[in-house]
Amino acid sequence: MVCGEDLDSYSSMITADNLCKKYGSLVAVDGISFAIQKGEMFGLLGPNGAGKTTTITMIVGALRPDSGTITIDGEIDPTRNSVRRKIGTAPQALAIYDDLTAEENLFFFGRLYNLSGKLLRDKVDWALSFAGLTLRKKDKVKTFSGGMQRRLNLVSGLLHDPPVILMDEPTVGIDPQSRNQIFDSIEMLKKEGRTIIYTTHYMEEAQRLCDRVAIIDQGTILALDTVDALIRQYGGQPTVEVEFTSTPDKHVKFPGDLTGNKLRAKTDKPLEVLAQISATGIEFQHVGIERADLEAVFLQLTGKKLRD
Amino acid sequence: MSTIFHIAMKDLLLLWRDKAGLFWVLGFPLLMALFFGSIFSSSGGTGSQSAMKVAVIDNDQSDQSHEFVTQLGEIDALSVSSMSADSAKQMVRIGKLIAFLQINNGFGESFGFGGEEGSELLELGIDPSRTAEGGFLKGMLSQAFFQSMQSSFSNLSQSVNLQERLSAIKKDTTLTPADRDRIRAVLTNLSGLFGALQQDTSGIDSGADSASTENAMSGPKFKMVDISLQRSGPRSSWEITFPSSILWALIGVCASFAISIVIERTKGTFLRLRLAPITRTQILAGKGLACFLASVLAAVLLLAFAAVVFHMRITNPLGLIAAVIAASFCFVGLMMLISVMGRTEQAVAGAGWGVLLVMAMLGGGMVPLFVMPSWMQTMSNVSPVKWGIVALEGAIWREFTFGQMMTPILILVAVGIVSFAIGARVISRQEG
Repeated sequence: MVCGEDLDSYSSMITADNLCKKYGSLVAVDGISFAIQKGEMFGLLGPNGAGKTTTITMIVGALRPDSGTITIDGEIDPTRNSVRRKIGTAPQALAIYDDLTAEENLFFFGRLYNLSGKLLRDKVDWALSFAGLTLRKKDKVKTFSGGMQRRLNLVSGLLHDPPVILMDEPTVGIDPQSRNQIFDSIEMLKKEGRTIIYTTHYMEEAQRLCDRVAIIDQGTILALDTVDALIRQYGGQPTVEVEFTSTPDKHVKFPGDLTGNKLRAKTDKPLEVLAQISATGIEFQHVGIERADLEAVFLQLTGKKLRD
Repeated sequence: MSTIFHIAMKDLLLLWRDKAGLFWVLGFPLLMALFFGSIFSSSGGTGSQSAMKVAVIDNDQSDQSHEFVTQLGEIDALSVSSMSADSAKQMVRIGKLIAFLQINNGFGESFGFGGEEGSELLELGIDPSRTAEGGFLKGMLSQAFFQSMQSSFSNLSQSVNLQERLSAIKKDTTLTPADRDRIRAVLTNLSGLFGALQQDTSGIDSGADSASTENAMSGPKFKMVDISLQRSGPRSSWEITFPSSILWALIGVCASFAISIVIERTKGTFLRLRLAPITRTQILAGKGLACFLASVLAAVLLLAFAAVVFHMRITNPLGLIAAVIAASFCFVGLMMLISVMGRTEQAVAGAGWGVLLVMAMLGGGMVPLFVMPSWMQTMSNVSPVKWGIVALEGAIWREFTFGQMMTPILILVAVGIVSFAIGARVISRQEG
């Protein structure tokens, strides 16, 4: 049990209990536990090599854990076909065929889930539309941009309408515009009530998309909570920054540290601090509140930056 | 089953779109067949790196025939063995011997020169796939023939001493002039014949061809025996080169699909397949089915090309179907085994082509088996390429019996099963 997670496999959509995986002497995953509720979007945030992909690969049943159990919608064996039909996956690698067209890829993957006929046709049309690829459906994947390939990679795992979706770094290596398109798509899926696990090493993605985030490093979960709670607990106080038009008289009392005409004050109540400064009557030309983020949380927890 | 079919169709579509891969599957084998077929069809002879295996059936059992066989055995380029006529024909038919030579009754009495047209005293049956060596072989047989004749006559001349006899006959007053003239004429002709023999045979070396030998003297006449059971016309070199080309096609398919498996594994599509509600067995079966269908299709296209363009005849269609299926199955297994020889596309491509080229080289896919040293011919038994060629040739022109067909087919199937099982096992272990 980690970070006070209450593992209730009966009410949770996904439960991982004390998962461990070693490759020789390398411990890839070391006792990871969490429970994800139905409709929740759960982030696994950590640097490359932290154990995110190994964890997600065990959850989908493609890798057997050395120990620990996984429960998905009440079923404990993710390799069972009944469980696999509930899971959609967007692997980190572009798991699509370059020499097939977008449409051919989708038809092929749909057939693997026993879709056929009009239902398959409708699902493929929906997926093409969802990925914004309808106009390019007859083109081979190898002619697509990185962002288009990523979107096709995502929807290839959604044809069978899975209630659980696992996305392993789905925005790696793409431009900001495509990234935003994918974010929009993910948010739509979330609104539809699907349960989503999202791994990333981009803190802003976790911050924007995830209801809860597990910060993972060296195979263990260091912290798990909502983004706000994590920041509150590990990110430190917000900082108020004020730049005065001139250097204030040294006899005036300010909260925080004054250097020249710049003031920095760490506080849990930034608005009250701003009111105090305003009450001095001294003019200022710039004011801002710097809030802690997950980067700061990670730095606090590990002593290193997320992308070190 | 439908899942396996869908996976197979996807892989065939990918192969169809891979023009480079398609070249190795169809284009290259066809070029090989055309190239070597043209060479063999126009070639008058070829060098030999190992002794030609020839069976001798001595039905005459005369001193002359024994001497002839002895002289054959002394030629380094020949490996001579004695056996029954049926065994010899069978061995030639299945490619174990290059030829058989049958010495008929009357050979000794006529010093080998007898025999009317159609009733020659020497019968020669040559493996149709070795016709390029036929002239070379006839040259060596003629050489042995003349040497045996010379040996016989030189023994005779030593004991009789023709010149002394001629002098004695001149002085013999007991003979009538007419008898003396007749005997002198005979001995003079014999003396001249020995001189001619010494002159002609001294000019024959192991590289001499039959034409020069036969021109030097009206030498032995061979009755050429067709070793096929029911052949109604001449065979062509295409019947030799197209079986090899089919094996090259299977090698191309094998390499392409082995590489495609490792690409799927490294790219992640294999993982996506595994996450679908299908078993690993279905995935591998789909891959195997695609490889099998591509192999059979390539073989059928090449056979159809040979039949339409070169009028290649197939003597045993059912045997050919069995041979194509067995060879394709074998290479499906090898495909699976080769796909686990590395973890990257480059590693599998390198290892795969390395292994397959060695198999092709040992198995007669590059250099015909008959020009290989004997130790290499023995080693060729480990190559599935050899058994594939043997099975195809057995059905196309060697007219193998059912039992003879079963040997290469069972070997091919066994290699396929073992290879597939090992490859699938390794993939299962590696994929967790």
